Amino acid sequence: MKTVLVSELKPFLDAVARQMELYVPKETDGHYVYRRYDPSAAEPPVLNNIRTCTPIKEFLFPLCELAAVFPEPVEPEEIKPFAVFGLKDCDLRSIEILDKVFLEDEFEDPFYVARREKMLIISSDCFEPRQSCCCTLFGGKNYAEKGFDLNLAKVRDGFVVEAGSDKGKEFLQKHKDIFVEVPSEALAERDSIRAQTQKQLEENNAEYKLDGPVNEIMEKGVDSDVFDIESQKCVECQACTRVCPTCHCFYLYDTKQKNYFSKMKMWDGCMRLAYAEVAGGANPRKMLGDRIKHRLMHKFSFFFDRYGIDMCVGCGRCIDADSHKMDIRVVLKKLNEELKDKPKAKVAK
Amino acid sequence: MNQNLYQPINGEVVDIIDESPTIKTFVVVPEKPFRFKTGQFVELTLPGEGEAPFTPSSSPTQTDKMDITIMKAGRVTSLLHECKTGQKIGIRGPYGNGYPIDDFVGKEVYIVAGGVGLAPMRSLFLTLVDRIKDFKSVVCRLGARTPDDFIYKNTLFGTWQKIDGVNMKLTVDNANGDWKGNVGVVTTILSADDVDIKNSVAVVCGPPIMMKFTTLKLLEFGFKPKDIYLSMEKNMSCGVGKCGHCMIGKYYVCKDGPVLTYGQIEKYPDIFD
Repeated sequence: MKTVLVSELKPFLDAVARQMELYVPKETDGHYVYRRYDPSAAEPPVLNNIRTCTPIKEFLFPLCELAAVFPEPVEPEEIKPFAVFGLKDCDLRSIEILDKVFLEDEFEDPFYVARREKMLIISSDCFEPRQSCCCTLFGGKNYAEKGFDLNLAKVRDGFVVEAGSDKGKEFLQKHKDIFVEVPSEALAERDSIRAQTQKQLEENNAEYKLDGPVNEIMEKGVDSDVFDIESQKCVECQACTRVCPTCHCFYLYDTKQKNYFSKMKMWDGCMRLAYAEVAGGANPRKMLGDRIKHRLMHKFSFFFDRYGIDMCVGCGRCIDADSHKMDIRVVLKKLNEELKDKPKAKVAK
Repeated sequence: MNQNLYQPINGEVVDIIDESPTIKTFVVVPEKPFRFKTGQFVELTLPGEGEAPFTPSSSPTQTDKMDITIMKAGRVTSLLHECKTGQKIGIRGPYGNGYPIDDFVGKEVYIVAGGVGLAPMRSLFLTLVDRIKDFKSVVCRLGARTPDDFIYKNTLFGTWQKIDGVNMKLTVDNANGDWKGNVGVVTTILSADDVDIKNSVAVVCGPPIMMKFTTLKLLEFGFKPKDIYLSMEKNMSCGVGKCGHCMIGKYYVCKDGPVLTYGQIEKYPDIFD
């Protein structure tokens, strides 16, 4: 049992919620945010057409968490299994990126590991992308092929459910009474919606298409004025780093409690002026343009050099969040145009 | 749960030595033996106040206690300077790569350091001296603002200069008292004849401006970028290449450094800012 059909969402989500805490997207002000699923709610649950406004990282790497207690260490609270519903392919790819950082060999982050192991990932196809969605520009798709436990695709007669892991297969087996065999027409319909949405995404982003690999364009553009010019629009609100599902910088700080001391771990962002400042006051990126450049270089060049993938999934959250409409696609396209004829940057070995 | 990367071990400050008007050495006893390679750094926590990165200045052969030389520079270091012996502290680490001592075997090691940059150099120096026969020579060119600003005065002006295989020259930016030595920034005592450049490595540590001009001078002498080892000071926080604060290009100074060759980072802008 790998692919099945369920006619309605409610029995499916109820079955998940009976097993563990479940978070589902809820629409507010034209955006989706995650809320705890309430099986007794009057309104029937809906499948989100696009990704949520808030990034999925908050489930694996919370805004603020307790990282250590001393002088007497304490065992951290045990993480219970939980499920998140409605992730899109961009969200799954953001988890792949965070895994590279937080599950790295001898430097595994124990808090991330604990949550990652306990998270049941239920993704779904994207079928009405926003203008800011640009996954296809950055190697992504509007539907997931890997990285999920279960994936749902909306069709006329319900939802095609596919298992992508042993956990997912077990779930389908355990709850087989709520599923029916998937008719071939439903699969054909799913594939046609997928192709149609992909085409729409490609059309929406046609004007931003680059002439070469984005990491090469970034490396060539390291001396460009584009970053300084773009910085004139930026008000340093740092919303881009907050909503970005792949930005993972954090800040460690110490607190004094009544009987113990603690070390806290909180989201931070490289757009903050004092981010890279050292004790003596030296700061390698005092200028805003340099910070914008560093952020994009990290996403498209440094991370690629280190891990072999880009650190951007084209979810478009930063484009939606920016009050002055700085658009990552426009910045890259400007670089692309400026550097078309420039030879490849020399890479130091 | 797996070992917690962010958990400090406990330690205590057992002695505090005044080195200069702005620099003190804290002798720290960790609750269990603490092993590190010379050039690696630790994150020192002043409980409830904050954490900061320091390279121990003692020899790695000593694991029951370590010396950490600290200049009063920011919030945490100022608070540390107010501490008394008996102060409880937290220690995380060791982090980073340290000096690749085995790659230095058979070569002349050209150490150029300034100010509090002598702290990691002391650990390196003691490590090299322990096996001095393995190296062709150890040539030190050290500077401070004034004679009073030199740290480790007792050994620096005494026993260290007499070790066989060590060649040491000192300079100060401004002389006072009965200083008889050179006056001028550290680059004024560097000479292309100090070492056989083809068979040497240079190790540089000091304030950013000093590192910059020393590197330029060494390049001018004919040192290859890959033979210039720089002890980089950036805002190392997590120590394990995740939090992002200390990045120079693709390198995390905390994990890939703090010792990076000029060759590794020369293509990135503002490395000495």
